[in-house]
Amino acid sequence: MRISEHPILGIPEQKEEVEFTYDGNVMKGLEGEPVAAALKAAGVTIHRYTSRHHSPRGIFCAIGRCTDCVMVVDGMPNVRTCVTPLAAGMDVRTQYGVSVKAEIVYEIEEKGR
Amino acid sequence: MIRYDLIVIGAGPAGLSAAIEAARSGLQVIVFDENAKPGGQLFKQIHKFFGSKEHKAKIRGFQIGSELLEEAAQAGVEVVLNASVIGLYLDKEITVRIENRLLHYKGDTVIVATGASETMVTFDGWTLPGVIGAGAAQTMMNLHSVQPGKRILMLGSGNVGLVVSFQLLQAGCEVAAIVDAAPRIGGYGVHAAKVARCGVPFFLSHTILRAEGDDWVTGVTIGQVDGNWNTIEGTEKHFDVDAICLAVGLSPMSQLLQMAGCEMEEHPKFGGIVPICDPYGETSIPGLFAAGDVSGIEEASSAMIEGRIAGAAAALRLGYFSENEFALRVAELERALSSLRQGMFAPENKGKKLSVTEEGCPVSEHLLGTGFLTEDEIFRYPGVKKIKGIHPVIECSQNIPCNPCQDACSRKCIKVGERITSLPVVDEEAVCSGCGMCVAACSGQCIFLVDEEFEEDYAAVVIPYEFLPLPRAGEKGIALDRSGKELCHAEVVAVKSLTAFDKTSLLTIKVSKEMSMRARFYKKGVRVG
Ligand SMILES: Cc1cc2nc3c(=O)[nH]c(=O)nc-3n(C[C@H](O)[C@H](O)[C@H](O)COP(=O)(O)OP(=O)(O)OC[C@H]3O[C@@H](n4cnc5c(N)ncnc54)[C@H](O)[C@@H]3O)c2cc1C
Ligand code: SF4
Ligand code: SF4
Ligand code: FES
Repeated sequence: MRISEHPILGIPEQKEEVEFTYDGNVMKGLEGEPVAAALKAAGVTIHRYTSRHHSPRGIFCAIGRCTDCVMVVDGMPNVRTCVTPLAAGMDVRTQYGVSVKAEIVYEIEEKGR
Repeated sequence: MIRYDLIVIGAGPAGLSAAIEAARSGLQVIVFDENAKPGGQLFKQIHKFFGSKEHKAKIRGFQIGSELLEEAAQAGVEVVLNASVIGLYLDKEITVRIENRLLHYKGDTVIVATGASETMVTFDGWTLPGVIGAGAAQTMMNLHSVQPGKRILMLGSGNVGLVVSFQLLQAGCEVAAIVDAAPRIGGYGVHAAKVARCGVPFFLSHTILRAEGDDWVTGVTIGQVDGNWNTIEGTEKHFDVDAICLAVGLSPMSQLLQMAGCEMEEHPKFGGIVPICDPYGETSIPGLFAAGDVSGIEEASSAMIEGRIAGAAAALRLGYFSENEFALRVAELERALSSLRQGMFAPENKGKKLSVTEEGCPVSEHLLGTGFLTEDEIFRYPGVKKIKGIHPVIECSQNIPCNPCQDACSRKCIKVGERITSLPVVDEEAVCSGCGMCVAACSGQCIFLVDEEFEEDYAAVVIPYEFLPLPRAGEKGIALDRSGKELCHAEVVAVKSLTAFDKTSLLTIKVSKEMSMRARFYKKGVRVG
């Protein structure tokens, strides 16, 4: 749920509402917020399934360190959704293992998790 | 390769302070931070900080962050964001990743201020979505305005667990319980009391047995542990929650220093592996410094001073400060630092069980076990006196480095004295005007005003309030005691929200006279029975 007014922080900065897709379904989020925040606000908690045990993962650190939140964004796998700003028209998909070979340097660590 | 007089890694309170100090002395300074926004941990901290004026006490963390940024800009510090430093080498060269490019810089001096990372624990189901770090909860609610869950269980009763629990309540979430395997609450008593009076129960000597749910967290089971960390059978308790928040500790992010070849040591009191430094933060490699949580987990207030000292030391090394100027500057900073490192939570007291305060007042075991003081205990402390007319009741019972209450009172009703860790004393001779400045200024929200002569059968109690919706004058509701239990009918007779109170509102509630020393929180609604 979004916090519409906070006793200390007041009313959140107004951001443009944009549409994106999550596993093909159209959803709404705020432009520039992390993709993970838009998903959480929309009630989505599972971001990926691990390759070995097919167990679900969601937001864990929210600062781009743990790689639990990676998804396939606009066709690119292993995107850390907690630090990736949402843009209109983004195609966000649940990641199963490492679906396409990663082109960026971040490696998905299983960390025994 | 681009060269700078000083490269600072990390734009938290330590890094920014180091950069400001050095830039003001004339060094050309660049700061790298991996985040999109500078400020480090500070931008997630929305509570008023402890310390004294020179440590920026009473100011909320994120506002301290903004002040530092402004100072840095004025001093001409260059701050580069979205820039992760991935390499640091003996000759003070660094490799920075900005987007997908790798860049190289060289500093005549380098200050590492990378802060800390959260330590984790494992239990059945800990990888389920919904099990999150305390930092993640803060990031979600305080930076992105999204609740991390509806009903949350907190593991960890240190200051981080306590502060984040209170923040969750402020964000409109429910906190089902605070659980800790230790037998006593680890953080400040005043932080614990703030959440206890909202009705959050503490389970000490308990641990999480399992997180439940198939695809995400739907519940959690905790159990009591004995002295050998074995669970005691039959002590299991279940909570329906949709998130579990872990606040079990921080450890210094000292990998870069290790990579550079600094001499390191394992130091439990500092939270893990830290560089061996001289008093100015210089590591075994000349010209390479460490400041803030990376050199030992402490506070933002101390991180800022450590940063300034390291910044001054870098200036000295490059000849921008004379020995004399340096000695004068550092003496001042070290005095400010040592005033913070006193009291019951001083580094040397870590893990120790103290039974009396510096003043000789017994420490409340009840507070350490349940999060609140009992009514009988409060009169032990010098901030609680029987006085006619409106007066402050200060339920501050531990020696913590903090004194905004003293500064707040122009009538001199409150005295902490030279040592900022001393317990605040209420002066019975001074006459309180009921202005409420002390209530709003108190970083621990542990000052109340009580007027037993408010009306014939009724007393007035003024309480600090930082929640929405704000009650309205005339509203009827329920007074809660220190444990958050419903106590009696209460009527809100005044609500004050002044700019000078900085977002802490003051509610004056009217309760029957005998409840004046018990009513400590307010809830809208009708009391049954
Ligand atoms: C819930 C909570 C409540 C707190 N309350 C208080 C309080 O009331 N009073 C108080 O004084 N303190 C408080 N603190 C503690 C305080 O926030 C920290 O001690 C302080 O922020 C440490 O400062 P720092 O500059 O060392 O590190 P940080 O603030 O952690 O900053 C380090 C920065 O470096 C960046 N970084 C790390 N590695 C790299 C890299 N390789 N490349 C680029 N950038 C990097 C990090 O992303 C971060 O931005 C609290 C902390 C928490 C979690
Ligand atoms: S209410 Fe005002 S006058 Fe009374 S103790 Fe507090 S600051 Fe002082
Ligand atoms: S009473 Fe004074 S010393 Fe105690 S927490 Fe409040 S401001 Fe700090
Ligand atoms: S939640 Fe850890 S990287 Fe995104």
